[in-house]
Amino acid sequence: MEELSMRETLKAGDERKVEEEFFQYIVIRLGDEQYGIDIRYIDNIVRMQHITRVPKVPAYLKGVINLRGEVLPVMSLRLKMGLEADEMTRATRIIILKQEQQGSVGIIVDEVKEVVTLGTSQIEKMSQNTGEIRKSFITGVGKHNGELISLLDLNSITLEENA
Amino acid sequence: MDVSQYLEIFLDETNEHLQNLNTQILELESDPENMDNINEIFRAAHSLKGMAGTMGYKRMQNLTHDMENVFSEVRNGNIKVKPEMIDVLFQCLDALEEYKNNIQETSDEGTNDNENLIKALNDILNDGKTEAPAAKEEAPASAASTAEGGTEGTEKWNDIAFDDSQIRVIREAMKQSKNVYGINVVVQETCILKAARAFLVFKAVEEKGEIIVSMPSAQDVEDEKFDKDFTLIVLSDYSLDEIIKAAESVSEIAQVTGGVLELEKTKNYHSEEETAEPVEEKKEVVAEVKAEPKREEKKTAAAAKAPEKKPANKPVVNRTVRVDIEKLDSLMNLVSELIIAKNSLVAASSNDQGNNTAFNEQIEYLENVTTNLHESVMKVRMVPIESVVVKFPRMIRDLSKKLDKKMELYMTGEETELDRTVVDEIGDPLMHLLRNSADHGLESAEVRAQRGKPEQGSIFLDAYQDGNNVVIEVRDDGNGIDVEAVKNKAIERNLVTAEQAANMPEKDIINLLFLPGFSTSEKVTDVSGRGVGLDVVKSKIESLSGEVEVKSKWGEGSTWTIRLPLTLAIIQALMVVVGGEKYAISLGSIQTIEDISPKDIKLVENKEVIELRGTVIPLIRLIEVLDVESTRSPEDNLIVVIVKKGDKMAGLVIDELIGQQEIVIKSLGKYIKQCKFISGATILGDGEVALILDANALL
Repeated sequence: MEELSMRETLKAGDERKVEEEFFQYIVIRLGDEQYGIDIRYIDNIVRMQHITRVPKVPAYLKGVINLRGEVLPVMSLRLKMGLEADEMTRATRIIILKQEQQGSVGIIVDEVKEVVTLGTSQIEKMSQNTGEIRKSFITGVGKHNGELISLLDLNSITLEENA
Repeated sequence: MDVSQYLEIFLDETNEHLQNLNTQILELESDPENMDNINEIFRAAHSLKGMAGTMGYKRMQNLTHDMENVFSEVRNGNIKVKPEMIDVLFQCLDALEEYKNNIQETSDEGTNDNENLIKALNDILNDGKTEAPAAKEEAPASAASTAEGGTEGTEKWNDIAFDDSQIRVIREAMKQSKNVYGINVVVQETCILKAARAFLVFKAVEEKGEIIVSMPSAQDVEDEKFDKDFTLIVLSDYSLDEIIKAAESVSEIAQVTGGVLELEKTKNYHSEEETAEPVEEKKEVVAEVKAEPKREEKKTAAAAKAPEKKPANKPVVNRTVRVDIEKLDSLMNLVSELIIAKNSLVAASSNDQGNNTAFNEQIEYLENVTTNLHESVMKVRMVPIESVVVKFPRMIRDLSKKLDKKMELYMTGEETELDRTVVDEIGDPLMHLLRNSADHGLESAEVRAQRGKPEQGSIFLDAYQDGNNVVIEVRDDGNGIDVEAVKNKAIERNLVTAEQAANMPEKDIINLLFLPGFSTSEKVTDVSGRGVGLDVVKSKIESLSGEVEVKSKWGEGSTWTIRLPLTLAIIQALMVVVGGEKYAISLGSIQTIEDISPKDIKLVENKEVIELRGTVIPLIRLIEVLDVESTRSPEDNLIVVIVKKGDKMAGLVIDELIGQQEIVIKSLGKYIKQCKFISGATILGDGEVALILDANALL
């Protein structure tokens, strides 16, 4: 009897799994807020290093760095999202995102905290009609251990340049 | 047999042979008597036939076989080269090209038998035989056997070009009443170990006499570098029959023919030697007597060595390896990495300040090696543009016939080298410009006569290296561009207004030709269609980071100039500091570096200029361009880097000089492409990134 119910729940679980997908996110801090970045798009996380400025580009493009012999552009997530300029601390990191079309790009974040797994049920999709600029960079909000994590829309962050 | 793995090689080599045939036949047209050409053509056709046969492309094989027959007759002097024949041959080449393309796309040669061509070839053959039957008695027989079974001329030994020493040996032998025979051995077509059979024949014949010459050389025969027959010259006391019997005793030998060698009939026979003979003879006899015993011992050695001495009939084949371009790319990347690592070491050693001379010496040595390595790898990637332009004479010839205009293409600088990737891409734009010149540039014969120009139009294709660029010019002495017609067309097509057009300088109007929409225009009076696809030419060249320019004078002709970078991924650069930031400027564009006092700066049209050795040069303050603060006070002398592009010059004001350095060009990625005057970035010895300033874009 119990076995049967077990099997049934397993079955039910299986079915639910089809609907519910799990994704891993890296949680970063930007000011006081937490953001999540889909781990599948992350190539690398490196410490802050010297950035070579490139003239005549938008302010949020901080310049280029040398990552093991490759020259990569680096942007400030804060400036791109309309926050105040970065303050470089020991916790500051550059996250290298891999992009199919444009090649890799680095984004500067205040701190990298942890990796979390979120199921689709834990994610609330953002409605698109909120007026704020920053909202357009977010695909949804995830709930994890009672905290809210804004999930970054990497496409709108890295896709240029119409702004 | 599965031959698919050889398909690529087959296609490559077919391309080469076809190209070779094209060139040679073209030359043959202007110089029908040139034996070297004919031999070369024969060989190329022969190899093509062999290759096609191996790969199982029967139609291709048949066609080349018949072509080969024609050449073989031409070579034997039975057929004279005639213009109609050249036309047929070119058609054959086109047909072969078609087979090749079919094979490339579907790995099948298609179903076109090209019977008309084969018939035309056979007609040539038959004509030749009836017209020149007396040229050589055996000719019909040999032609017949060629056509039937592929066994070729029976008296092949007469084709051997003896050198003087060989002739002497033969004469000597004749004097000693030895018999000198020419033996032609044909191996069965089904024979698998040809070289082994040939070796056995050599051995059998050597028991009866001495082989003094073999064609192909003994070495080649051993390496199986012969088709199915080889020819020997044998000195012997035995009768001809016995030797033939000895050779025939080896199995898988299809046919052995032989005859007494008559020096007078051979190819290299000079009658003037006869006069020199008596004098030489005495010496020779002495030499011979001494040499005689040795020669007996060294029979085989002589057989192997003698052919090497004879003037090589074959073209010198470059020893090459085909390498996938991707492998070269990765090699190039590794070299780049190595240079970056080397730069780091140099930086580390100069920071060290220690007097460790041994260490410094090693670093200098490393620097040397990496520089050489880089150069070699670059050179490997460089190919002469010849591989592209070599097909143009044929194209112009065809155009000449098609358009019924007399024209000639003059090419220089085919040896100019460019990166492989660029060479692959440059063919189409060049072809386009040449077609333009031939079709629209050159006038009809009547107009040319009126203008007092020679009837034959000239098109020039000149390539040369100019600093870090390669320049390719396509020039014609034809009509030039009708600026008025272009202007009217542009107005008509609403590309410019009439007012605009009236104020436009001629150069800008001509540049309208490069606009995309412009090309489709049909009739622009007698420059009809000029501009067809010119936008494609332009965009192609620009995608190779090159430029195209046109200069034209109405009635006198036009010049199209294509300027391409050598695409060096590693360059010599001058490192400078501007506002505390390091930048690299390609050494190629730098003329001089000057120390200028602020007093010497003058203002012209509110722009700063300096006068340098009689030339007025505008100043560009890099701090303004790069949005930085200078670290120098305004009273200090300025450091000015004078850069040059074409005939334009400018002085770039910098803060500090660091020095010359070899740098690896890295792309900035797609994010930062808005920046026109930054052509890339490089990684310095300390791991920092420095940007590369494109002086050309600043001008």
